[in-house]
Amino acid sequence: MTKLFKNSSFYGGFAGALLAPALLIFALCISQVSAQSKKTRPARPSKTPATNANTNGADNRVKLIDEVGLKSLLEPKGKPVLINFWATWCDPCREEFPDLVKIDNDYKDRIIFYAISIDDPEDINTKVPQFLNSMKANMPAFLLKTADESAAITSISPLWNGGMPFTALYDTSGKLVYFREGKIVPESLREELDKVLAGTNK
Amino acid sequence: MKLNRLFISCFLAALSFLSVLGQSSTPEIGSIVENFSLPDTDGVVRSLDSLSGPKGTVVIWLSAQCPVVRGYKDRINQLAEVYKAKGINFVGINSNATEDLNWVKSNITEFGYKFPVLIDKGNVLADKWGATVTPEVYFLDASRKLIYHGAIDNDRSGRNVTEKYLESAFEASLGNKPVTRTRANAFGCTIKRAAKTQGTN
Repeated sequence: MTKLFKNSSFYGGFAGALLAPALLIFALCISQVSAQSKKTRPARPSKTPATNANTNGADNRVKLIDEVGLKSLLEPKGKPVLINFWATWCDPCREEFPDLVKIDNDYKDRIIFYAISIDDPEDINTKVPQFLNSMKANMPAFLLKTADESAAITSISPLWNGGMPFTALYDTSGKLVYFREGKIVPESLREELDKVLAGTNK
Repeated sequence: MKLNRLFISCFLAALSFLSVLGQSSTPEIGSIVENFSLPDTDGVVRSLDSLSGPKGTVVIWLSAQCPVVRGYKDRINQLAEVYKAKGINFVGINSNATEDLNWVKSNITEFGYKFPVLIDKGNVLADKWGATVTPEVYFLDASRKLIYHGAIDNDRSGRNVTEKYLESAFEASLGNKPVTRTRANAFGCTIKRAAKTQGTN
């Protein structure tokens, strides 16, 4: 994969390190699917996080969350969860937003879509909602403020180094099934959404 | 039939996990990285070894456009100046396909970088090292061993810095002590890769 390393034992160790979790995923997946196939899944209404309960009007539509709030957004809610990290200062984030709004409209009620701004908390009632309103974006919106950004990033994916924008898709069990660092390719994201929804409807 | 489908699905899930991991080739902490050569902004090909400091080298991914790099420019310049005197050199890398040479050159002048910035056309080095963000630093000791990778500190605004990851790594290394925190991430700009490698996931 790379000639970067002089240590030849790297390859053996790396291959093992890759295969072990892959086998684990295989085993876990089988046990999960088997368990789920034995019970009927109750139809659960989509839960809106408590932090977003008071959303009224444009001013305070964006809610402040910390790493605990972020974690709660990713808990299984009976529907796939799509999450987009963005910022008003991030050009590609702004560029991809119209596509995300279209996707939100097209998949409304079938998925839960959260927009997470990492802007300065000072902008929570100004720049951030202003941009969302200009995009006619209606999804629940949050602004992440955390003392440990590194931990928050790693909690989303250990493969994410923090590049913006970042879009992640979780299945109904809360498992990360797709992510994209950088601008989304709308067709690819729609394909992934369709795939995860097909899985949900089995 | 159902069992077969289950096995195939799970096999594919495991495979897709491997393929996702396969896209990241970030050198591991403790690994010796290979020397590389890239052209600077004058077109002169420079090797990492020729630019390395006697006490270590910081390879830092930069961007002319990225507001986060702009927010860090004074801290980058200060660290580069203070630690060059102590034997640690900075080498900038620009891998953004969206930033042409003239833009990069004028940005170096505007930001006042005193260290070389190399042009990674086609993001070959970024792919090889797994660099995805700006600013993103790799701190190598004098033997080219990677001893810190990630963010400069824990606050891009610069107002509430409580963890100076890179500076702490410098001080540990200069004092012949192990680096306590070898990895840290921070939000930044995604490196804009050349079209050939886009849309892989």
